[in-house]
Amino acid sequence: MSRPGFVLEVDERTPPLLVHRGEGFGLQRFPLGTRVVYPPDSLPPLPDVRGAIRTALLNPLGSEPLPELLRPGMRLTIAFDDISLPLPPMRPPDVRQLVLEEVLELAARRGVEDVELIVANSLHRRMTAKEIERVVGERVFRSFWPERLRNFDAEDPDGLAYIGKTDKGEDVEISRRAAQSDLLVYVNINLVAMDGGHKSVPVGMGSYRSLRHHHNVNTMLHSRSYMDPPSSALHGSAARMGRLLANHLRIFTVETTLNNETFPREFGFLNRREWEWSLRDQAGYLAARKANDAAPARIRREVFRRIRAPYGVTGVHAGETEAVHERTLAGVHRQQKVEVSGQSDILVVGLPYICPYNVNSIMNPILVMCLGLGYFFNMYVNRPLVRPGGAMILFHPVPWEFHTVHHPSYVDFFEEVLAETTDPAQIESKFEQQYATDPWYVHLYRNSHAYHGVHPFYMWYWGAHALDHLGDVIFVGGDRRTVRRMGFRAASTFADALEMARERVGSSPTITYLHSPPLALAEVR
Amino acid sequence: MPSLLDEVRDVARGWRWGRRSLVPRSAEPFAPTPEPREFPTEWARTPAGRAARAAIQRLVLRPLVWSQTEPRVHGLDNLEGLRGPVVFVANHSSHLDAPLILCSLPERWRRRTAVGAAADYFFDVWWRAAGTALAFNAFPVERSGGRRLSDTPWRLLGEGWSIVVFPEGTRSKDGWVGRFRPGAARLCTDAGVPAVPVAIRGSFAAMPRGRGWPRSGHYPISVRYGRPMRPDPGETPGAFMRRISLSLARLWDEDHLDWWTAQVRAARGQTPPPAGPTGPRWIRVWEASRPLPRHRARPRVWS
Repeated sequence: MSRPGFVLEVDERTPPLLVHRGEGFGLQRFPLGTRVVYPPDSLPPLPDVRGAIRTALLNPLGSEPLPELLRPGMRLTIAFDDISLPLPPMRPPDVRQLVLEEVLELAARRGVEDVELIVANSLHRRMTAKEIERVVGERVFRSFWPERLRNFDAEDPDGLAYIGKTDKGEDVEISRRAAQSDLLVYVNINLVAMDGGHKSVPVGMGSYRSLRHHHNVNTMLHSRSYMDPPSSALHGSAARMGRLLANHLRIFTVETTLNNETFPREFGFLNRREWEWSLRDQAGYLAARKANDAAPARIRREVFRRIRAPYGVTGVHAGETEAVHERTLAGVHRQQKVEVSGQSDILVVGLPYICPYNVNSIMNPILVMCLGLGYFFNMYVNRPLVRPGGAMILFHPVPWEFHTVHHPSYVDFFEEVLAETTDPAQIESKFEQQYATDPWYVHLYRNSHAYHGVHPFYMWYWGAHALDHLGDVIFVGGDRRTVRRMGFRAASTFADALEMARERVGSSPTITYLHSPPLALAEVR
Repeated sequence: MPSLLDEVRDVARGWRWGRRSLVPRSAEPFAPTPEPREFPTEWARTPAGRAARAAIQRLVLRPLVWSQTEPRVHGLDNLEGLRGPVVFVANHSSHLDAPLILCSLPERWRRRTAVGAAADYFFDVWWRAAGTALAFNAFPVERSGGRRLSDTPWRLLGEGWSIVVFPEGTRSKDGWVGRFRPGAARLCTDAGVPAVPVAIRGSFAAMPRGRGWPRSGHYPISVRYGRPMRPDPGETPGAFMRRISLSLARLWDEDHLDWWTAQVRAARGQTPPPAGPTGPRWIRVWEASRPLPRHRARPRVWS
């Protein structure tokens, strides 16, 4: 049985702890008494994943078995999560490939001919053919690409169908092909508690017109946190949309959960608690660290990009969306939830090299902000790990660097919008429409591999709750110009950052270090 | 950016290369405390063990300690005419203390003396336990509360072995003498054997906690034996330990000043406790780290 997560209290016996710093990592000594939140050990994977998928499809929750929903002459659409999941990308075979193959096998047997596969990339960039092939596997790719396997296009006027309004007046508009199908099968990977459920179809296959109802500052301020769906306005809105959709369209959801095997064997020390590092782990750390430091930036990035996580599948559930998601969430919590007693004055986080929006790309400063103040800050249930007015210290170099193909609107957002204001509400009211409807960004989104023009706004809103909650944000080792542009402060060392934070939180602050990834979700009592 | 050497040093320090690895306290799994199984040390008191120990002490330990420090031994005349066994009760501030006592004792005492050593420190792994048992004729002493008290020291006294006990239970953190626990006095009252106080000064300056080797400079160390003391009839271990403690304080005072002045101060009840100066810790450590004077100033006889 794997050990549960726990909270370490740093004492004189505690070795220095590993901290991620973007495309690098290092050891850091923490003050005595610092609480360190560790995720549970990796859960044992399912011994027979294909068998588990078949069982889930044949014994679904709140639905007839999948074969009974399939019939000749029907229109079947299968949608699946895009490249933003899981992180890092999974070592092949991707669990989506396994699910797709089982679903297609059943469809073929039942004589279904009109089948289409859609990447539910929403306003994310289009995945390249190679990336899609890596997700769906060679067999599916060869059979369906490119006519019947494609990226979703949220700006295609002919490819969208308006479904209607929810009881709160939220527009629901999704992929026309999906909306007009007799059955939509959605295949997801539920890496964190935010994913899945009703968020899959209305968001993954929704247009800007639909998304703007929950991807906004007000919703984000009332999502406390968005890793806790019952307390998240974002999920409330998505659920209303999902329920409306369910009245128009038969959706069969397949959700999968993964364990915490985030890093491959060569980086095994990243998966382990430091005091349990063997000599091999210590040597591995030293070798990896020095090689990483010595390598040119391009090589370093390439090495990180090639990391494939040896994730194990811990659960497969299929059927009606809400019934399935309840089981899925329980599985995610089993792997990630850690009980933490009370808030602290300072929250420390080491940001890794990857977030959902820079796979095979560059983590630009806005994504750094989103990863730190969006994702990691929100990795809580009940209350944030840091008290209101407290400080957050993040380790990341925050280079002034953008991928101009993937993130063109980010460049302008950073140069133009953030130069004027960093207040999410002002940014939303003054700039969002202009970026969301800019024809050049729309063109790049549809024809190149660019994130939608509005995407950097969403990233900034993602951190709105943290910006509202925190008194100070300090980046250790961060590029001063970049950090200042975003309205934060930079410190050369952790000691300096603590000294700076003391201005805000007093001279003897309590400190919590969220030791992640592998991912941990703090249940703060 | 730290150099490779710095990184290796950090890792070596953090993961205690060459030493026992430690788990942070809050990460230690809960486990009911097992009944301690005492490390067997009888073999170290067999004729072969004694012969090996005599050779180690004479050929290795004494030359080593005496070459690295400058021990001055006083008061051995107090052992004249005394028949063992006794309990040597000494203050403790350095790993040098046990070898200093053992190697300063006359041969007839040394070969029949055992040392009580912390079970959790010296008897944690077999090779350290075996080495300690052989070189020092040591036996394990449980110093954490709640454990069953071993009968080894009583048995040893019954077999005629004298025992060295450090009643503070651990080495002094600041070089001064801490509170004495009454265990050593209980041995005396129970077994009806005398206690011999031993004051050791200068060993903290020569090799304080945290050092594995004496500081260079041949630091003087004074080992001063006091008169044997017997528990009075009906005297409690606590009361007897207070007397031993006072006697050790006089020895300390005598070593610091001179015998006569110490006697006068003792008669007036003005013997200062060897607890060091009051004030912040650094002052106490600073004073305790001051090396003993190399040569005592002698009154000039010829002008």
